[in-house]
Amino acid sequence: MEFGFSPAETAFAEEVRGFLREQPLERFPVDGMDAGYGSGAHSRAFMKALAERGWISMCWPVAYGGQERPMFFKLVLFEELALAGAPFGPLAGSWQTADAIIEYGSERLRREVLPAVARGEATFWQGYSEPDAGSDLLALKTEARRDGDQYVIRGHKIWSSHAGIATHGLVFTRTSREARRSRGFSMFVVPNGTPGMDIRPIRSLTGGVYHYEVFLDDVRVPADLRLGPEGEGFQALLNGLDSDRFWGRFYKAPALERVLRRLVEHANTTGASRDPALRRRLAAMAAEIAALRLLFYRAACLLRDGAPISYETAVAKVYADETGQKLARLGMDLLGPWAPLRAGSREVRLDGEISHAYLTSLGHTIAGGTAEVLRTTVAVRGLGLPAEPRKA
Amino acid sequence: MDFRPSPAQQLLVATARDFLKKHCPPERVQRVALDARGVDDALWQRMAELGWQGLLVPAELGGSEGSLLDVILLVEEMGRAGAPGPFVPSAVVATSVLLACDNADQKKRLLPAMAAGERIVGVALADEASSLEVDARGRLTGRALFVEAAHVADALVVAARAGGETQLLLVPTDRRGIARWPLEVIGPEKLFEVAFDGAAVSAEDRLGSSAGRRGALQAGALARTAEMVGAAQRVLELAVEYAKTRVQGGRPIGGHQAIQHACADLVRDVDASRGLLYAAAWRTSEGVPAVADVAMAKAYASEACLTVARRAHQIFGAIGYCEEHPLHLLHKRIHAASLDCGDAALHLEEVAQAIGLR
Ligand SMILES: Cc1cc2nc3c(=O)[nH]c(=O)nc-3n(C[C@H](O)[C@H](O)[C@H](O)COP(=O)(O)OP(=O)(O)OC[C@H]3O[C@@H](n4cnc5c(N)ncnc54)[C@H](O)[C@@H]3O)c2cc1C
Repeated sequence: MEFGFSPAETAFAEEVRGFLREQPLERFPVDGMDAGYGSGAHSRAFMKALAERGWISMCWPVAYGGQERPMFFKLVLFEELALAGAPFGPLAGSWQTADAIIEYGSERLRREVLPAVARGEATFWQGYSEPDAGSDLLALKTEARRDGDQYVIRGHKIWSSHAGIATHGLVFTRTSREARRSRGFSMFVVPNGTPGMDIRPIRSLTGGVYHYEVFLDDVRVPADLRLGPEGEGFQALLNGLDSDRFWGRFYKAPALERVLRRLVEHANTTGASRDPALRRRLAAMAAEIAALRLLFYRAACLLRDGAPISYETAVAKVYADETGQKLARLGMDLLGPWAPLRAGSREVRLDGEISHAYLTSLGHTIAGGTAEVLRTTVAVRGLGLPAEPRKA
Repeated sequence: MDFRPSPAQQLLVATARDFLKKHCPPERVQRVALDARGVDDALWQRMAELGWQGLLVPAELGGSEGSLLDVILLVEEMGRAGAPGPFVPSAVVATSVLLACDNADQKKRLLPAMAAGERIVGVALADEASSLEVDARGRLTGRALFVEAAHVADALVVAARAGGETQLLLVPTDRRGIARWPLEVIGPEKLFEVAFDGAAVSAEDRLGSSAGRRGALQAGALARTAEMVGAAQRVLELAVEYAKTRVQGGRPIGGHQAIQHACADLVRDVDASRGLLYAAAWRTSEGVPAVADVAMAKAYASEACLTVARRAHQIFGAIGYCEEHPLHLLHKRIHAASLDCGDAALHLEEVAQAIGLR
């Protein structure tokens, strides 16, 4: 057992902190809403700064321009960035897509897309959900029809986060009708701006734009923009969702720790810190955040060691999302009448971060698999309880 | 970072699990729990033969020289099995106090015998539950509440005020002026009120200033957390097993989402508690400052493991209401462990200060 970090990991953490000291965060313009996951806002400038350090591609094989650093370096980077409140919104998605391309992407994707990811230029939106396919993703209707060395994609995606500001969509489609419900799906990496693609913003409860809906009207894409073998897209997606839960939430614990520190400071300033009930709530939050961090590190060790994951990332994801909601709720209670003030308002407290977190955190137990669906996953896949009978 | 116990620790755990399965099966746990004395002498002796009570004690004092982390892994198994006996007060808390004290004679006299399972030492260290005082003539008066296993303890480590400071004393239970009154509790643990009515305290009873108390209570808090985690793990296993086998309306109840989601929450609570426990125990074993880590682990597990037990009652339906069923004993143990060596409120206040609340 060992709960410390290696000298190399500690040194890298210091390197990241040094970078953050040299590059004050105000310098990086923000292009897209902070969705509250802990990875901050979407900032192309910040992604480029990370790329200049070689950090986006640091764990890739040398053959693809990487440095083959151990996976834990990514965790160290995430932790330091999240503790600082940096705007690295698209990073997890870029890493995951790059990993998939390295693992089973075509030559073309490796040649054209990977270097753009490494430069911090390519970022991705996920085109999975549709109006009639949410939790039941396999009910999706978007189809990709083969036509020579192209596919023609037709359908309607919705809730695609940051689709309007990312560079490529990961569009999940049906390529054939098969007896098995989970077969016949394929994923495509579709550049934004491809003719026939219409991306329309949806305003969120925060007042900002985060989601888009995407109409695909006979969008033609070269066959080698398909990610993975035809018809095998669902398995790839499942693997992707598994790691999505991990990579898309890993930074929640340090991000919540940062918010908790702000709440403590605020409570000290206002004198609310003398209220015994509040002291206990804040202390209990600190313990929950510490527990959350360890759940993720345990999953990280399993991933690193290639050990099987059955429920660990699903448990960690739900816990991350519910803990985030709880902290935001506590923050609102602490701020009292100031709680609803939004960023930029006169008299706003804590830069309006709490009211924003309160709203965005509502979506976290829905996005990436709802808390209900994931609890079922934990029970069925993790504990071996019988699956509910479902219609084919 | 590595969450896996070392090969030696894995062996310790595997051995403990086998041993407890054989010598401490559920029927026996039930029997001892209902017994007024509530201690299994044969089991205690066998444990000593394996070196368990001496795990914290160095070899030259007859111990088996393990680390606190080893003790934690072991107590987790004991919690899982519901093993009876005053292991935590005697082999963890009192042993830690004695190890840290500067009374070499008492160390030499007691620790080898405690490690060998021949002596049991109880503890009365909590301020809230005691009013002990040593007067100028060296007479100990006052009473201590919630002293575990005082009836089988050969001696007690007590914290008493003496001349304006807190002193740690080692008092034999058969000394004149000491009376032990059983308290009746819902759970299997045997608690006592110990009344001191002018019991004489001599220089050789003094273990020194209260310096070692904090460390000993932290070790105890970790051990109690391990006990809760082990018991909650067992509750989880029993509940999942039941959810797979209990059939209602033509299918296992575990096929219903309401039950599935409850089970999913049990895993979360157990895993999260265990993560905090191991990290805090590892830090303590490594000598890294860990006061806040221990406090978080104890406070968190107290809430989470109790929730596990309470939710399991719902999963089991009426059968879990029976005395014959193991659930209530695990539940009551978790509850008792949550109170000992600092309850959740005390530890949360420790955390509150650690995170900078003024
Ligand atoms: C902030 C946010 C970001 C998102 N980003 C993206 C994105 O980038 N790309 C993308 O493709 N999609 C995205 N989504 C969409 C997301 O994947 C879906 O919202 C999600 O899969 C749930 O689908 P739904 O909203 O249609 O709800 P529904 O599936 O209709 O569910 C409604 C309710 O019913 C429950 N329910 C449904 N099925 C079951 C079941 N089998 N058992 C128990 N309960 C069930 C759900 O848990 C939920 O409580 C995002 C959503 C949010 C909120």
